[in-house]
Amino acid sequence: MMNRTIAPKTSTVTHIDFQSPEIDTLSNEVNIYSMRETDDQTVHVDFVFDAGSLKTSKIIAQLTGDLLFSGSADKTSEQIDEAIDRLGGFTGVEISTEKATISVIGLKEYIVAITKIVVDAMINVNFKPKEIKQLLQSKKKNMAIQLEKVSTQARRAFLSDLFKNSPYGDLTHLEDYDHIEQSDLIEFHKQKYLSGLQYISIVGSINDTDLNAIKELGNQFSKDNVTSIEYDYSYVPNTIHVEKEQALQTAIRIGRVLFNKQHTDFIKFSVVNTIFGGYFGSRLMTSIREDKGYTYGIGSGVAQLLETGYFFISTEVGKEFKDLTVEAIQTEIKLLQTEDVSEKELALVKNYIIGQILEQSDGAQAMMDRFISVETYGMDFSYYDDFIKQVNEITPAEVKELANRYLNWEDFTVVSAG
Amino acid sequence: MVEFERFELDNGLRVIFHKDVTTPMAVVNTLFDVGARDESPERTGFAHLFEHLMFGGSINIPNFDGPLQEAGGSNNAFTSNDITNYYDVVPVQNLETVLWLESDRMLSLAFTEKSLEVQRSVVIEEFKQRYLNQPYGDLWLEFRPLAYEVHPYRWATIGKNIEHIKEATMGEVKDFFKTHYHPGNAILVIAGNLELEEVKRLVIKWYGDIPAREKKVRNLPQEPKQTEFRTKTIERDVPSDVYTYGFKMAGKGQQGYYEADLISDVLGRGNSSRLYKRLKKELELVTEINAYIMGSSDPGMLMLSIHPSDGATLAQIDTEIWKIIDELKSTLIKKPELEKIINKVKTTKAFSEQGVLNKSMALAMNELMGDANLINTETEEYEKVTVEGIQKYAKEILQKTNCSQLIIKAKKNDE
Repeated sequence: MMNRTIAPKTSTVTHIDFQSPEIDTLSNEVNIYSMRETDDQTVHVDFVFDAGSLKTSKIIAQLTGDLLFSGSADKTSEQIDEAIDRLGGFTGVEISTEKATISVIGLKEYIVAITKIVVDAMINVNFKPKEIKQLLQSKKKNMAIQLEKVSTQARRAFLSDLFKNSPYGDLTHLEDYDHIEQSDLIEFHKQKYLSGLQYISIVGSINDTDLNAIKELGNQFSKDNVTSIEYDYSYVPNTIHVEKEQALQTAIRIGRVLFNKQHTDFIKFSVVNTIFGGYFGSRLMTSIREDKGYTYGIGSGVAQLLETGYFFISTEVGKEFKDLTVEAIQTEIKLLQTEDVSEKELALVKNYIIGQILEQSDGAQAMMDRFISVETYGMDFSYYDDFIKQVNEITPAEVKELANRYLNWEDFTVVSAG
Repeated sequence: MVEFERFELDNGLRVIFHKDVTTPMAVVNTLFDVGARDESPERTGFAHLFEHLMFGGSINIPNFDGPLQEAGGSNNAFTSNDITNYYDVVPVQNLETVLWLESDRMLSLAFTEKSLEVQRSVVIEEFKQRYLNQPYGDLWLEFRPLAYEVHPYRWATIGKNIEHIKEATMGEVKDFFKTHYHPGNAILVIAGNLELEEVKRLVIKWYGDIPAREKKVRNLPQEPKQTEFRTKTIERDVPSDVYTYGFKMAGKGQQGYYEADLISDVLGRGNSSRLYKRLKKELELVTEINAYIMGSSDPGMLMLSIHPSDGATLAQIDTEIWKIIDELKSTLIKKPELEKIINKVKTTKAFSEQGVLNKSMALAMNELMGDANLINTETEEYEKVTVEGIQKYAKEILQKTNCSQLIIKAKKNDE
């Protein structure tokens, strides 16, 4: 009989092969990144524009993006939808604070034809009043639903307070949908789509002819210099409660303005965050879910913005557990600040983090995502080599020191909704 | 083409191996042939609660997650009305750690009172977070018992109510394990850059001595044919009304299933679908409208989900929906429209089966359906569907007497 109490030997991941995409520059100076070595039968093309909400208001950025396929002088939205669907194509629009990503997905044999339709629609969109009206109706309805959720209420209160002095704290309100001018959309489209293409990425095994066809399509846009605006990221820690009487659960958001991956402490702080609330076996999950059963889930993370970042703890707990949860969070922070993490726990977290990087780099699309996430910050793949090195090197003393530097309760804004 | 090898252990464990030389990871996917449909009507939500308990330590290993994370891996699981599925992703050199962990919890759980007590509480919070404390969160809790009268699909995986979870006892947990968690009730898929012989050796090493138990014959009460239109109106504290329609249809892989899937696409998948074009774009009666199928193993439902525009009435919307349905039943759809939806099916299928984890799950699901190779032949099943077949099946299922309708009305707050 085999002894099942003894674990098989494991070996640590020591090296990850990162593969850079092919990089071409179009005549309009737009970069086109492509990962073409894959067996996948679909192709995924992203057009990324300098059209995030930082460059206007949140609502104008979102509506402009959502209306890109709503028709031109010679085509209705129905005709565009029909043409894309006929080729089995899918499109996606994702608007963040910093950029707008327009995605096209299709089978290899149709990808150029689909992309042609998409680009033609994006360039010639004329923002018909009827289309604007229909979109506003469904957006407004959807937002009213979102606003009912305690998680939405907490997130909105948290971000708007933390980033009071910058567009990161900009919130859309229901009334805003009643004051939209067609001319604002037309102007934003002209500035940030027609002249705001930042890069194109392609994942899929397309041939040179198809790649060149997509390049030509990219050349129809131009690239303005991205204007970076300086904002004030200072904030005053605050405590906010949003009351919702009938709620069964209370949503909690706690955090502070911090930094992004350009900061020298980012990598090692990521290890601290993982121990604290960054994975299923984290201190927060172990205490608040697996020991006490107050919640379905709790976690923490560092959200990265182009020029800064923020640390957050996020959970939804039974109404009666709210204060107990906040106390338990404080206890876990104190523990991290005063007691050395054991070598065993630290070793586990190191292996876990590096295993996750390996998994997150698995496949052509994942590799492209890794590339974009460093390229955006003016870095290259050497960042990950450094990441693995620093993760392997961090000591219990450093963990404690970083927890003392960045996880002080008096620096935190504490928000609850429920 | 997804290539795979299949073998079976003496204790009845079915194993599928998929070799993928492109990935540095290995996947271990364990599907147990048990879901919420196998629960007692007095103890609903049990299959899902049990899934939580599977992470509470096994007979020889006090903690499931720790050793896996230490090996650089991660895992998760989900429960549906039909199945419970567990998956692990780990750097390939540490595959054996996963087999050690997974085989031990298939052998036996630790069954601690503490784990049961905590997970009961966690699942109750999950119930609140996902079903009770969200606008329209209880839609399925209301819709299922309207559409199903006897089949266990009449309750949701989370359970009928919180009390069923509160009252779960250790004795019931042990019985559930004994009945449903054994090699003959599982399908194990292993994928990665590995050799078949090595995979066989490791699987026999870790799973070979798990005792076989008899597979329980599933004998569920079958839902009688629906013969009357059912409608129910409820008031909720939500910002706007939502209408939901469900039409009974074939179970996965059964006669009519692929036709129904394509019918739902014609009606309401995407912006060029018939309902979207007519009700949203032309008439502006709705702000959102979608059609989809449940994809369940036993006879399921084709669903319509509708968010009415302000000012539009149920009568107006209902009339227009039935006009579109009647048109589908009276006039053959044109070939190009069928080609269009088949093209979308192809793209979706290719996209959703990318990556070693997605392939592994799909292999397990298809093997449960009877043959893992369906992953490679399913597209052909869609291509076999004819415009006549669509019309025939539309006539069969898109009838008022086969329809259940739930109206969620926004409570008016007169302040």
